[in-house]
Parts: sequence; structure tokens; C-alpha cells
Amino acid sequence: MDVFSLLAHGFSVALTPLNLFLAFAGAFLGTLIGALPGIGPVNGVAILIPIAYALKLPPESALILLAGVYYGAEYGGRIASILLNVPGDAGAVITTLDGYPMAQKGKAGEALALSAISSFIGGTLAVIGLTLFAPYLAEWAIKFGPAEYFALMVFAFTTLASLAGKNPVKALIASVFGLMLATVGIDPGSGVPRFTFGEMKLYDGVDFLVVAIGLFAISEVLTLMEHSYLGTAQRIKVQTKLVSMKTFMASLWSILRSSLIGFFIGVLPGAGASIASAVAYTTEKRLVDHEGTFGTGDPRGVAAPEAANNAASGGAMVPMLTLGVPGSGTTAVLLGALMMFNVTPGPLIFQQRPEIVWGLIASMYIGNVMLLVLNLPLVGLFARILTIPRWFLVPAIAALSFIGVYAVNNSAFDLLFMTGIGVVGYLMRKAGFPLAPVILGLVLGRLMEVNLRRALAISGGDWSILYASPLSKALWALALLSLLFPYLTGFFGSRRRPPDV
Amino acid sequence: MTERKSHKSDRITGVLLLLLSLGYGFEALRLEADFLADPLGPRAFPLLLAAALGLFSLYLIFKPDPDPHWPPTRVLLGQLAMLVSFVVYSYALAPLGFLLATTLEMAVLSRLFGADWRRGFLGGAGLALGLYVLFVFGLGIPLPLGRWWPG
Repeated sequence: MDVFSLLAHGFSVALTPLNLFLAFAGAFLGTLIGALPGIGPVNGVAILIPIAYALKLPPESALILLAGVYYGAEYGGRIASILLNVPGDAGAVITTLDGYPMAQKGKAGEALALSAISSFIGGTLAVIGLTLFAPYLAEWAIKFGPAEYFALMVFAFTTLASLAGKNPVKALIASVFGLMLATVGIDPGSGVPRFTFGEMKLYDGVDFLVVAIGLFAISEVLTLMEHSYLGTAQRIKVQTKLVSMKTFMASLWSILRSSLIGFFIGVLPGAGASIASAVAYTTEKRLVDHEGTFGTGDPRGVAAPEAANNAASGGAMVPMLTLGVPGSGTTAVLLGALMMFNVTPGPLIFQQRPEIVWGLIASMYIGNVMLLVLNLPLVGLFARILTIPRWFLVPAIAALSFIGVYAVNNSAFDLLFMTGIGVVGYLMRKAGFPLAPVILGLVLGRLMEVNLRRALAISGGDWSILYASPLSKALWALALLSLLFPYLTGFFGSRRRPPDV
Repeated sequence: MTERKSHKSDRITGVLLLLLSLGYGFEALRLEADFLADPLGPRAFPLLLAAALGLFSLYLIFKPDPDPHWPPTRVLLGQLAMLVSFVVYSYALAPLGFLLATTLEMAVLSRLFGADWRRGFLGGAGLALGLYVLFVFGLGIPLPLGRWWPG
């Protein structure tokens, strides 16, 4: 079947009333979560998983909702960036550079409108890219053997290590920690319980959801206790304005270039919206900033990062869907959600469960249109949400985390475990250990071990099978290169990194 | 200047991680499969992980980063109070019921985030009621009413 008939099938899934509603709910909640400083997409997605699970949604519907939160958050992040000079999420850090100066000049409405349109273009171009590339990548990836898969996962961890956080070794430690968590429970190969210490509750393994919510949301709440700068806006008035055609045309090339940059950076494992927006902004500054107006409220400086971060979140879906190997914390959480719904991710999903992949892709076209509508005329509504006082907002996040985890198993043990993981996550944040590799390790651990053991079973215990084929050789070389990369260039090592997602 | 900076946090973390890798590794060594479906068995992957963690933790001990800024005592006490409230809430949820437990928990948390008790209770009660209606009646997800609830 060609791409168009597959996509048509996807639309028949996405256009059912339930899925349309979920796409809208995802877009709305995503914008909200993105807009609120302190909860990013990863927290939002993690908190919503138990609700989707408890509602017994079919997997494609759950994914439509959760993905909507993910890419919707990149729309919402800009609102606080522009109005408050505080990024709503990590992908919107760069948007403050020109967004806030524009607001100070009284052009907040224009900045919001232009960034919404840029977000829409970036997001939609990324979905088109996803539509075109994903089937080919999946077809190619089907030929991967267990050795190639193992090498690919190592590559995912090493790129994440070199990009997420300042110290690659700390990211590697975080990865190994996640992988260790994944080994807890009954070993699928031999039936032996591992690292359970006789605790029956651990026989099924460490609950992914409990770890995800504890690690991200609870640790975030603990971190927020420290920060006083996240003050709430007193009174924000936003006129919903349309951007002038002249300003839009002046930014159009920046938007298109940044969308491309964002998409490809998003596809790379480990590099997400925050890196994409930074690279796009720097590129545009170099290319078009002849008068030195970037940083003083140049509309192109708002358009470029917003197009890029939205394109990146679409691009990040490519490896998650086609290879089953996510490249960021949020896509790892999405993948973990799929696994909770008993869907095995990877290239075969395109053949076995096309309704999931294509339903999701189709819903992303629809979701982006909904987001444009939500973010143009209704932006004032979301801006008003920024006035919710912090003493209410942060406890509410905690309450939602607790209810969500409780709703799945009705177990106080889960709540305590989540709190414990939250403390670990907080200490990790403080000590400079990125959190995304932990969740990636937890999600990929089983798969990584299974592939390793399968490869060694094929070779009869000969470890050289891991690097026998040219493809696995190439993947190992890339993995090594990505680890050395920070030291080779000094570029990524010296620059202060935006907070990881 | 750089010499004077303390590196204690990473060193301590490194030692703890080294202990973790040893404990995890020894636990892995004790794993025995009754039959071997594959040449590696249940031990090999955990042992690889233990070795990797051991290696990385040594790196951390010998090349630590400067200490992060740990929050002042006032904040630490607040965080501790918050954690205690989480533990109490975890145990109290089923017996007290969602509405009462959440209202109390929200009041405590709001207080920790700078609201006065009155606002905390009102906000907490409002949120608890709203979430209860949303979850139980809107989404059909049951939440405990508490053991004191008649019937």
C-alpha cells in the first residue's frame, strides 16, 4: 500500500468522535501544560498515562491523547516565554530572547500570533516528514537482527549521554541505573526472579509508570520548593492580534529553515526541542541578522525557535515509532505508555498495528490545526492561566500525580515507591545527573537484554556477533564517535546547556 | 580557586554507586537458572551493568564535578515536611478517603508553598471535590471514599 492510502486509513481512525475529542483534549492540555512554568511535557504525559490506562482506552486512542500533550506543549511553552520571560518548558528557553523584548515593546499580541503560526508550520512540516520517512525507515529497520538492535540501543544511550547534561559519564550512570531497574522482576528467558528480594510486588518488574511520575513530577515538585523566581504573573492583558503579512513574510524563510533543522535534530536520538530551538536560533542569527536586531525583539528570533521546537517534537516521533528506540525523555515515556498497553514498539508495528501508527500520524495533522486555533484566538485564556498562584498549582501537580498512580493499582506501596523515586530524581537533578536516560533505560532494558541474549544464542556464545555485520560495525562506530564528540569539538561541552526535557 | 571548591557530593555519590554496583553484581552472581535456554542465562546482562556502573563510579570518584548548591536549611526542612506529608497521605488515602485526605494534604502543601491555612483549606477542598467529580463521575475512575463513610 502506498503512503496515501495508509494515511487515509489513519484518518479513518483519527476522525472517529472519540479520537477527535482526544486529539483536542491532548492539544488543549498540552498547551496548558506547556504554558505553565514548572510542568513540562514529560510530566504532563506521565501524569496522564494512568488516566488513559484507567479509562481502558484502546492503544491508538491513548497514544493520540498523550502525543497531543507532547507536541501541544511545544505550542504552549512560548506563552510564558513571551509574557513573563520565564520559559514554560525547556523547548521555549530560546523564545524568551526575542519574545520578551517584543512584549516589552507592546507587541506581545504580535509575538504570540507569529509564534503560533511558526509553531503550526514547524509542527505540520514535521508531520509531513514523519509521513514520508517513517515507512521507509521502518521497512529498512525490519532487516535489523538482534545484534544490530543491541548496537542501535547502545548508540541511543551514547548520543543521549553526550547531549543530555554537562557530564556524559553522569548520563551514562543514569542510563545504567535505568537498565538496572529494568532487570528487576522475573527474567523472561529463564523464569528466575531477579533483584526482587522476595517481594512479590516486584515479580512483575518495577512499575514504569510509578518510576516515570516519581522521577519527573515528584522531583519537580521538590525542586519547585527551592525556586522563588517562578512568581506568578499579576495581571496579563493580551490583545489577540493577527500578525501583519509583512512581518510574516519577512520571517517565512526563517520559519521554513528552522522547521527543517528542527525536524532533523528531533530525529537524532538524544537531541530534542531545546537543542533544536537553540541551533535554529543560532543559525538564523548567523544567516539573516544583518542589523544586529536579534535579541532586541526581532520577530524572526521568535519565529525560528518556535518553528524548530515544534518540528523537533514531530521528528522525535520518527525513531520512537519506526525503531522502537526513543531519543528523549518524553518519547521514552510515550513508548513506555505503549508497552503498558501491550503494544510492542518497533518496525513491525507498521505492519501489525497500522491503525496505531497511522491513526497517530493522521491525528497529528488534525491536532496541529486544532492547536493553531487554540493558540491564536484563545491565547488570552491560556495567558490568564499563568495567574494561577503557585501555592495552588504545585500542590495540585502533586495531588494529580498521587491520584494517577493510585488509580492504576489502588496500592499505597506504589505511592511510597513513587515518593522514594521522586527523592532519587531530585538528588539526581541537583547533582547534575540527567533524568531522561533513566527512563530510557527502564523502557529499553528488557528489549536490550533480549536482543543481546538472542544474538549470543545465534552465535552459540560468540560475542563477536555483536559487531559482525557492517551495519552493526557502523552503529558501534557512531556510538563511540558520539561519546567522543563533546571532547572533539568542545562545542557542546563548553556551552551552557538548556535544561533537558 | 578551583582547588578550593568542594567535590564531596560527587565523591560520596561515586562511593555509593560503587557499593550499589558491587551489591547488584553479587546478587547477580547468585542467580542460577534451572535450565539454560540461551548461552548467557539470567546473569550476564546484570553483570555487564554492574561492571559498567563500577567503572563509571570510579570515574566519578576520581574526577568529580564541583558540588551543586544544596538548598538552605529552611528549604530542606520544607522539602522534608513535604516528603513526610507524602508518606502520611499514601497511608491515609484509603482509610480517610480521597476527599478528606486530599483536602488535608493540599492544605499542608499549600502552606509549604506560602499560602495561609484558610486559603490552603479552601483551595484544597475545592480541588479535592473537583477532582473527585472529574474522576468518579466524569471519567468513571473509582476513588476511595474512606472507611468512615457510612455504607
